[in-house]
Amino acid sequence: MRTNRRFLIAGLSAAAIIRPRVAAAQELPPHERALHQAAQREGELTWYTGQLQAEPSEAVGRAFSERFPGVKVNVVRSTSQVAFQRLSQDMRARVAQCDVFSSVDYSHLTFLKREGRLMPYRPENAAGLAKGARDAGDTDGHFQITYLALYALGRRTDRVSEAEAPTSWRELTDPRWRDKLSVGHPGFSGAVGSWAIMMRKAYGEPFFRALERNKPQIGRSASDPVTVLNAGERVVGVAISGQSTLLSISRGNPLALIYPTDGTLMVPSPSGAMANAPRPNAARLFMEFMTSPAYSNTITSYYAESLRPEVPAPRGSRPLDSIPLITPTPEEVEKNIAEVKELWRDIFGV
Amino acid sequence: MTSSASEAAASAVAATALPRRVPWHTRLARIEPASLVWLLLALVLLLLVAAPLGKLFLVSFEERGTGAFTLANYAAAYGRQRYLDALFNSLRLGLTSATIAVVLAVPMAWAVSRTDMPGKGLTWAAVLGAFVLPPYLGAVGWILLAGPNSGFINVAWRSLTGATAPLFNVYSFNGLAMVIALTAFPLVFIFVKSALDLVSSEMEDAANILGAGTWTTMRKVSLPLVWPAIIGGFIIVFLESIALFGTPAIIGIPARINVVTTQLWQFFEYPVRVEVAAAYAMPLLLITVAMIGVQKLLLARKGFVSQTGKGGERRPIKLGPFRWVMFAWCAGVGLLAVGLPLSVLLQASFAKAWGRGLAFDNLTLRNYRLLIFEHEMAMTSIWNTVWFSAVAATAAVAIALLVAYIVTRRLVPMGDVLGFMAMAPFVIPGIVMAIGFYAAYAGPPLSLYGTALLIILAFTARFLPIAYANAGAAIRAVHPEMEEAARILGSGRLRAISVITAPLVKKALLGGWLLVFIVASRELSAAIFLVGPRTRTMSVLLYDLSEAGNFEVLAAFGGLLLLVTMVFVVIGMKLVGRDFMLRRT
Repeated sequence: MRTNRRFLIAGLSAAAIIRPRVAAAQELPPHERALHQAAQREGELTWYTGQLQAEPSEAVGRAFSERFPGVKVNVVRSTSQVAFQRLSQDMRARVAQCDVFSSVDYSHLTFLKREGRLMPYRPENAAGLAKGARDAGDTDGHFQITYLALYALGRRTDRVSEAEAPTSWRELTDPRWRDKLSVGHPGFSGAVGSWAIMMRKAYGEPFFRALERNKPQIGRSASDPVTVLNAGERVVGVAISGQSTLLSISRGNPLALIYPTDGTLMVPSPSGAMANAPRPNAARLFMEFMTSPAYSNTITSYYAESLRPEVPAPRGSRPLDSIPLITPTPEEVEKNIAEVKELWRDIFGV
Repeated sequence: MTSSASEAAASAVAATALPRRVPWHTRLARIEPASLVWLLLALVLLLLVAAPLGKLFLVSFEERGTGAFTLANYAAAYGRQRYLDALFNSLRLGLTSATIAVVLAVPMAWAVSRTDMPGKGLTWAAVLGAFVLPPYLGAVGWILLAGPNSGFINVAWRSLTGATAPLFNVYSFNGLAMVIALTAFPLVFIFVKSALDLVSSEMEDAANILGAGTWTTMRKVSLPLVWPAIIGGFIIVFLESIALFGTPAIIGIPARINVVTTQLWQFFEYPVRVEVAAAYAMPLLLITVAMIGVQKLLLARKGFVSQTGKGGERRPIKLGPFRWVMFAWCAGVGLLAVGLPLSVLLQASFAKAWGRGLAFDNLTLRNYRLLIFEHEMAMTSIWNTVWFSAVAATAAVAIALLVAYIVTRRLVPMGDVLGFMAMAPFVIPGIVMAIGFYAAYAGPPLSLYGTALLIILAFTARFLPIAYANAGAAIRAVHPEMEEAARILGSGRLRAISVITAPLVKKALLGGWLLVFIVASRELSAAIFLVGPRTRTMSVLLYDLSEAGNFEVLAAFGGLLLLVTMVFVVIGMKLVGRDFMLRRT
């Protein structure tokens, strides 16, 4: 019993720490206040997301409900491909369940827009996004960038020193990294798919064949290498999620990020409200929230990049303009992803 | 006098009696109320099994978008070596896992049921633990134990022997098969043990009197009598193995082993090729048919009745010092299946950073606190899991009992079809089954997508084979003579069932209920495509957490899942009585 109470107190104090960070309801700007009133009548919204991991996604939902009391968020978090699959299933069954859809795969949102599935709503807060994020969003405002995902190299600090660690993607083909690497899978992770597209563009097919000779351990998501490294199974993570790695480091795991000299992969990841959203006002309000400073405050505390100029970058991350970045264009992703997955499977067998 | 002779005689009489039967309309008037139940049952099975599978079958010949007839899906599904390899890998995996599971479980079942081996309670706990542990959690535990570089076992092996090669590499075909067998062997154990419990010592005594020793008796009398249970268990494990999605995704992908389920996943990628996936799933149906055929062939013309209503004393066989060997075997399996993986998972669930290993300042309750107080979905999913599984288990057992009864007693001409339908769902990988359900029921006119009913229906259908195998074995062991006695004395069939048969199979049914509840509560592959925002289950949430780069929280949620299931198992044991789990005396 005593443990229970201590549990409860610990939980409450954790909630108390989070609370002051967000603005109280009465300070809302007028456009948010009007939407809030309308959204309160709807009471909740459902958010399919493949962007941030489960824990930060839940935190985003809580932060939203704290800023806009009376509106609950049903967070349905999975990988982007699964999220998109669930949405496709909804559409085929003609059941509208999703209000806001978020993915790491840019082509999902361009597809939805093309099919007329997105609500033509440009959030007012989007005007205040950092330039990079604002420009990468839809020109018609149907979807906005809500996650600047970074994928880099990671190492076990106790097993690979900074001096001996690889500094570029290209070095991964060096035989001394045999049985040392861990990577996700383009068939599961949209991010790893984008990475593979960029690698093929830069170094061609031989890069993958050489990588295969080093026998990397293949997982699924771009966060799987975090787990593999933490377990000590492998010592270098490839195309590893920057956000998950920094979060894991903050919890005391012996990891470090390496920003490769031939370009850290940056994937601007979009979100949009659905045209047939069962709770349209809550959906609009959530789009306002995701483009607001309050949202950036929440996600930076989980080591995702800030989307707003007034919100500082997360601790431990490098300023984006100080590292070389590579980003596939939406067209490149749409055109090459299926081919790259086939190539990967032919070479790696899975 | 073997019962098969009397059964054969009875069916021969029935066969010759048929042509002399009175016309239909007169027979209609004599119809028992029970016949209506059978009719209803056929309808239920049609909805649960035939409709989704039929839809799947039709879809396999449809062109995407237009729905026109085509064979192109089959060409696409078998047109690449990689796809065929996956099919072959699945078959090999199923056979290997099932063989390992039988090897692990049969000695345990024999030792617990028939001998004076010490530590039976402990063995039961191990079996139960292995059963409650979801396969993907077991897989994660085994990655920690037997990862070639970091696994505790391999690290210990290297430091003890100075070897450079790992003792056991989990990322290999045998690793995958072993991990699957370690989570699936309880199915064999429970089947074989319940069957052995019904074999009376008199049969063994007869062998002893004729000069056979303990081992010969076991080999020639006890085990052959429970052949149906062993084969049933083997088949169930085989089917379970080839239908698993989580374990092959977690271990098979790093091991570079592509199997049917992971290949199906690829067909479901955008653009979703349900049609090709359906075509790819069809051989699995043929395999079920073949397996059931083999089972029939192996069991044909033999009698396995051990419960005759005519007494039958059961005494444990005295093993002497050998009982410690049996104990070591049971303890060893328990350690591999539960003790070791559970310890590493628990360690991770209380760790701030599991990479830092076991240290006092690395301990925390934060992972649990996060799930219980800050993760809205976690609590909802626990509640969903509990009530979905409970309703599905109840429905599955009820249906299975009725079907098993009809099939075993040969009450209707097409009874075997019912049996086949009840057995079929297990070979359909959960993912495909889910798509079948999705195709049949998600959209209009029923529009069940996102509702609890859809998941409960899918769970009921998917685990019907477990309930059915369980109920079938139970019914088979009850000789019809006992019912016939009641009927001769004027009782109707339903009354004979409720007063004679039901009490005799009650414990087996409760066992079946618990089995279905537990497997449903950990079911992943059927759930993952059917859950809506409000109907997520713990397994789906666990799967999502498994690729989130945060195994501490994953392990903690696994801990909660185990806790919830254990609570229900304990409640079940209390309701049924402690003797349910332990041997009857």
